[in-house]
Amino acid sequence: MGRSRALAGDPSVARAVGPARPVATRLRRRLPRYMTGYLFVAPVVLYLIATAIYPIMTVIAMGTQDVTAGRWHFVGAAHYALVAHDPVFWNAVWNTSIFTAASVVLQLSLGLVFALLLHEAWFNRAVRNTMRGALILPWVFSTAAAALMWSLLYDPYGLFNYLAVGVLHWAHPIEFLGNPRLALGSIIAVNTWKSYPFYMIALLGALQTIPAELYDSAKVDGAGPWQRFRAITLPQLRGVLVALSTVDLITTFGHVDLVNMLTQGGPGRATETVAFYVYRTALLDGDLAKGAATSTILLVLLTLVTQAYLRVLARRGQQSW
Amino acid sequence: MVVAPTALRRRARVIAHQTWLVGVTLLSAALILVPVAWMVSASIRPIREVLTYPPVLFPKAVTFDYFARILGNPMYQHFFVNSVALSFGTLVLSLTFGSFAAYGFSRFRLPGGQVMLMGILSLLMLPRVTLIVPYFRLAHVVGLYDTLPGLIVANTAFLLPVATWLVKGYLDSIPHELDEAAMVDGCTRLQTLHKVVAPLAVPGLIGVAAFVFIAAWNEYLLAVVLTETSRSQTLTVGLASFFGQYVRDWNGIMALSTLASLPLVVIFVFLQRWVVQGIGSGAIR
Repeated sequence: MGRSRALAGDPSVARAVGPARPVATRLRRRLPRYMTGYLFVAPVVLYLIATAIYPIMTVIAMGTQDVTAGRWHFVGAAHYALVAHDPVFWNAVWNTSIFTAASVVLQLSLGLVFALLLHEAWFNRAVRNTMRGALILPWVFSTAAAALMWSLLYDPYGLFNYLAVGVLHWAHPIEFLGNPRLALGSIIAVNTWKSYPFYMIALLGALQTIPAELYDSAKVDGAGPWQRFRAITLPQLRGVLVALSTVDLITTFGHVDLVNMLTQGGPGRATETVAFYVYRTALLDGDLAKGAATSTILLVLLTLVTQAYLRVLARRGQQSW
Repeated sequence: MVVAPTALRRRARVIAHQTWLVGVTLLSAALILVPVAWMVSASIRPIREVLTYPPVLFPKAVTFDYFARILGNPMYQHFFVNSVALSFGTLVLSLTFGSFAAYGFSRFRLPGGQVMLMGILSLLMLPRVTLIVPYFRLAHVVGLYDTLPGLIVANTAFLLPVATWLVKGYLDSIPHELDEAAMVDGCTRLQTLHKVVAPLAVPGLIGVAAFVFIAAWNEYLLAVVLTETSRSQTLTVGLASFFGQYVRDWNGIMALSTLASLPLVVIFVFLQRWVVQGIGSGAIR
C-alpha cells in the first residue's frame, strides 16, 4: 500500500502511466451498469418476496394440509373436495357474480358520466374543481365510515324509510339490509357510492389525453355530441375501460369489508360472497385449512383474470390503438 | 352596442349549456353527499331529530357534547394514535422503498426487470383477502400478532406495489435527457437523484403519498384479522365494532366517524390537485 501510494505521488510515474484511480472507481467500471439498478430495486423485491410471495406459497401449502392437536399434516385435496361439494360455497359464487357484475357496471358508468361532465368546458375553473372535489369525496371516507353512514340511512326510521313511508305512503318500512331480496342490492349501492370516484378520476385523466383536433374536425363535419361520443370518445377510451374494468373486477371480487360490517353474510346467506366465505371459514369458524383451500381457489381465479388482462395489455402494446 | 343576432344566439346557447352543466353536476353532487351531510348532522344534534317521522332537516339544537364524549374516551384516543402511527409508518416505508425501486425500473435497463415489473403489477391487484389466512398464522409464528409493527409490515406489503407503480409512472414522464446531462456534467448518480430527479418528482410524490396515507388510514380487513386488543387496533376497527351492538348510540357513532374522517378530508382538500394528477396519470398506463 505504502509503496503504491509513493509511486502514485511520484510525478515521473504519473506522467508515464497516468494518475492512479481509486479502487472503488475501477471496481465500478468493471461491474455492469445495471448492478447499480439492482441495488435500487432490491429492497422492494426482497420485501415483496418475504411478505407476499412467501405467504402465497404458505397459503397454497396450508390448503393441502390439516391441523390436529396443533400439528399440520398433509391431506392432499380433501379440503378442495369438501369445498366443491359445499352448497354454501356455490351460493357464495353466485352472490359474488352478481355483486361483481353490478358493481363494475355501475361504478364505471357513474364514473364515466361524471368524468364527461367535468371534462366539458366550464365557465369557471374554480367552480369545476370544487365540483370535482365534491364528487371525489366519498372515496376519501373509510369503508367503515361509509357503512355507518348508509346504515343510518337504511334504518327502519331512517331518511330512506321516511321517504318511502312518509312521502310515498308505503305500507311498511323497507328492510334494506334485513330482506334477503334487497340486502345484496343495498350493499352494492354502498360499494358503488364508495368506489366510483376512483374510476371517475382515472377516466378524467384518460379523457384529457384524447387530442382535441379529433373533436374539432368532427364538429366541422357536423357531428353532434352523441355522435362525437360514439365515434371518438368511446373508441379512444376502449383500452382504459378494459384496464379499469379488470382492476375493478378483481378489487370487487376480493371485497370483504362491507359484507362483514353491514350483514355478516346474512340474512341467511343472502349476501355471502366468496371473499367473505374465506374470511368466515378461516377466522370466524376457525377452520384455517379450509379457509386456505378456498383462498387458493380465489387466488387461481384471480391469477387467470390478471394474466388474461396482462396478455391484452401486451398485445395492445404491439397494435397501434 | 349592437350585437349581431347570430352572436347573440350563440351567447344564449353557451349560457344555456353552462346552466345545464352546472345544474346537473350540482344536483348529482348534492345527492352524492346526502350520506355525509346526514352523518355530520347526526353528530351535532340529538338523535330523535334524525331518526323520526318526519326527520328534522335543519338542526334545532346544535351540541358538540358528542364530540367531547368521543375525544375524552381513552379507548378512542388509543385508536386515533394507532391510526396515525400505522399510516405514517406505512407511508414512510412504502414511499422510500417504492421511490428507489421506481427510479431503478425507470432509469436502468435491468435484465429480468420486465418480469419483476409484471410481478409487481400482479401483486398490485392482489386482494388482501387471499392472504389473510397465511398472515394470521405467520403473524403468530413470528410474534407480530396484535402489534402495530405487524400491521405496518402487512399494510406495506399491499401498498408498496401501488407506490412503486405510480411513482414509476411519474418518473417515466420526466425526460431521461435531464439526468443524463447532469451525469455528463459530473454529478454522481445519487447527486443526480437528489438534485435533478427528486425536485421534479415532488408533485407526483405528494399525490402518491396522499394516496398511500388515505389507503392505510382506511384499511380495515388486515386490522381486524391481525389485531385483537385496543393496544394495536385502529379507528376503522373501532368504527366497525359498532355493528356488533344491539342498541346503537348513533350520536356517538356519527361523531366518531366524522372525527375519523376529518384528517383525510383536510388532507384531500389541500392536496386534491396532486391526488387527481397521481391517479389520473398512473392509472392510464
